[in-house]
Amino acid sequence: MLHPARLGAGQKLALTANRLLDGVIVWRDAAGAWWSAFDRAALLDADEAEAALAGVDAQKDGVVGVYKVAVTPGAPPVPATMRERIRAFGPTV
Amino acid sequence: MNAPIGHYQYDAVDRDFLASRIEEFADQVGRRLSGALTEDEFKPFRLMNGLYLQLHAYMLRIAIPYGTLDSRQMRMLAEIARVHDRDYGHFTTRQNIQFNWIKLEETPEILRKLASVDMHAIQTSGNCIRNVTSDQFAGAAADELLDPRIHAEILRQWSTLHPEFTFLPRKFKIAISGSPQDRVAARFHDIGLVTRPGADGKPLFRIFVGGGLGRTPFVGKEIFDSVPEEDLLMTLEAIIRVYNAHGRRDNIYKARIKVLVEALGIEAYRAAVLAELAQMDRAHYRLTPEMVGAIRARFASPVLDAPADAAARLEADRRRDAAFDRWVHANTHPHRAPGFIAVTVSLKPTGGSPGDATSAQMDRLADLADSHSFGELRITHMQNIVLAHVRQDRLFALWSELREIGLGTPNVSRIGDIIACPGLDYCALANARSIPIARKLSARFGDVALQEEIGVLRVNISGCINACGHHHAGHIGLLGVDKRGEEFFQITLGGRSDEKAAIGEILGPALREDETVDAIARIVDRYLSLRDMGESFLDTLSRLGDAPFKEAAYEAA
Ligand code: SF4
Repeated sequence: MLHPARLGAGQKLALTANRLLDGVIVWRDAAGAWWSAFDRAALLDADEAEAALAGVDAQKDGVVGVYKVAVTPGAPPVPATMRERIRAFGPTV
Repeated sequence: MNAPIGHYQYDAVDRDFLASRIEEFADQVGRRLSGALTEDEFKPFRLMNGLYLQLHAYMLRIAIPYGTLDSRQMRMLAEIARVHDRDYGHFTTRQNIQFNWIKLEETPEILRKLASVDMHAIQTSGNCIRNVTSDQFAGAAADELLDPRIHAEILRQWSTLHPEFTFLPRKFKIAISGSPQDRVAARFHDIGLVTRPGADGKPLFRIFVGGGLGRTPFVGKEIFDSVPEEDLLMTLEAIIRVYNAHGRRDNIYKARIKVLVEALGIEAYRAAVLAELAQMDRAHYRLTPEMVGAIRARFASPVLDAPADAAARLEADRRRDAAFDRWVHANTHPHRAPGFIAVTVSLKPTGGSPGDATSAQMDRLADLADSHSFGELRITHMQNIVLAHVRQDRLFALWSELREIGLGTPNVSRIGDIIACPGLDYCALANARSIPIARKLSARFGDVALQEEIGVLRVNISGCINACGHHHAGHIGLLGVDKRGEEFFQITLGGRSDEKAAIGEILGPALREDETVDAIARIVDRYLSLRDMGESFLDTLSRLGDAPFKEAAYEAA
């Protein structure tokens, strides 16, 4: 995988992708729907994330490049790396 | 329509080709959306049409051959920014433009709009010969020996969809200059060409090969000194054939021609090229004067008539207005024609994002090109815009209008004229953000009088080792590195991309972003305190070495 997510203590995983039509970054919720808002992302344990990833049908869902992102829990939870925070919340400039 | 000033005029063959290419891509997009093509199948097709999938969205990179645009093309770029993107575009170090927020489903429509003004996005991606770059002052500079644009266009046509060179081991970049003052970074390209007239007036080409930045930076080596015009294409074919045959395809990091040239040595590489040339049919590849003449005929030349007192009026305007005088000092270049001057419009406002322009600025720049420079604009590899043929007596009026749209910053080649790649804010490959630190540095040195006092000082910033911000070639270079998820910057000093090309040397351990801005401020202070009369930053650095600057940079760390 392009961006292996290493889980730190207490961290969870979320599934992300780009929407095929317009490239917009999307996050997968617990029901398998994709949303552009990060706060809808399901936060999963490693096994759950693996199973969810295996179950994604990217073409049917209209997404491309699905992968896992480490998330630091908190209020609110945020992606663990700067790269993924920028993906979740937009450019910093 | 009359032939445009400064670039080649398309004919029906060019336009038919583009139209069929777009319909082919529209069909590919349709099949991708229907699921008939998987992403893996579709990716090479979209990349061949300049469409990347970046961090936030699709990014479309549009080719601007040798950096030259006419005003109607600039207006179309403004329209694309307004209608299909977030109202701005980003001019790149390859003299192209990128739009960062493009929708896949709208791409065929955008490409049709581009084709309506003879533009496209071919050769902006993939392992082919990329869009050829050239001197932003081509055909204008007083120091130029030969206008390189005719040959740049010949190279464009020769390389476009060249069947043998469409799947090279890696991307391939060519730059061409006609001035001994290297403004194209010829020695940092896969092939760099410097042309001059021979004793008989016919063009000769000095060719450098194997230059490049990125993970393993090398200054290009001279392979031939004086290739005659008629053998130009044959020689380039032979150079690239040797690379195509022997370049490494097993390791992406070792696949550029620079690695092959370094591995073989320039003598062995030259010998291999000569052996290839010996078995080629010279007549077949000959670039005839008729061919060159046919291309030349597709370029219109500006009529450069200025009033006899144009220079005197400019001098009077400079005496009258100190701010104007400062801008003229930094942002203009001597023109070959009396009464004219070449202007660089800085796209580096204080505290701004280097190379970005809004649609409103693009529209106004197109208007100003029409009223001041024969409707022609050039994009520079320093991410600025040139109006190449401005009458000296009208320069004050142009400057006044530029100031109204926030483009009158007097900082070309100064510390505020920062070159930065998109970095982690946009680029999927980045380690660190380039734009925020560029903006902080620009704001820190926002005082234009201080910038003038510091003099020529180029800062280049790359968000990763791919070096799109050419950090190795910056007088001060910054490379973003990732340390356990945090952004750090490695400082290099002493790089330069001109005829004395050199790779900057690493100063010491990487610093955090804020520490980096402070460290650079101390390096500059140290330079101001140590320099001899008239010495540039590079002069002082080469006289004293980097020890005093290292001491300054790490003083507080
Ligand atoms: S240097 Fe790296 S971060 Fe910057 S644009 Fe190039 S690949 Fe992206």
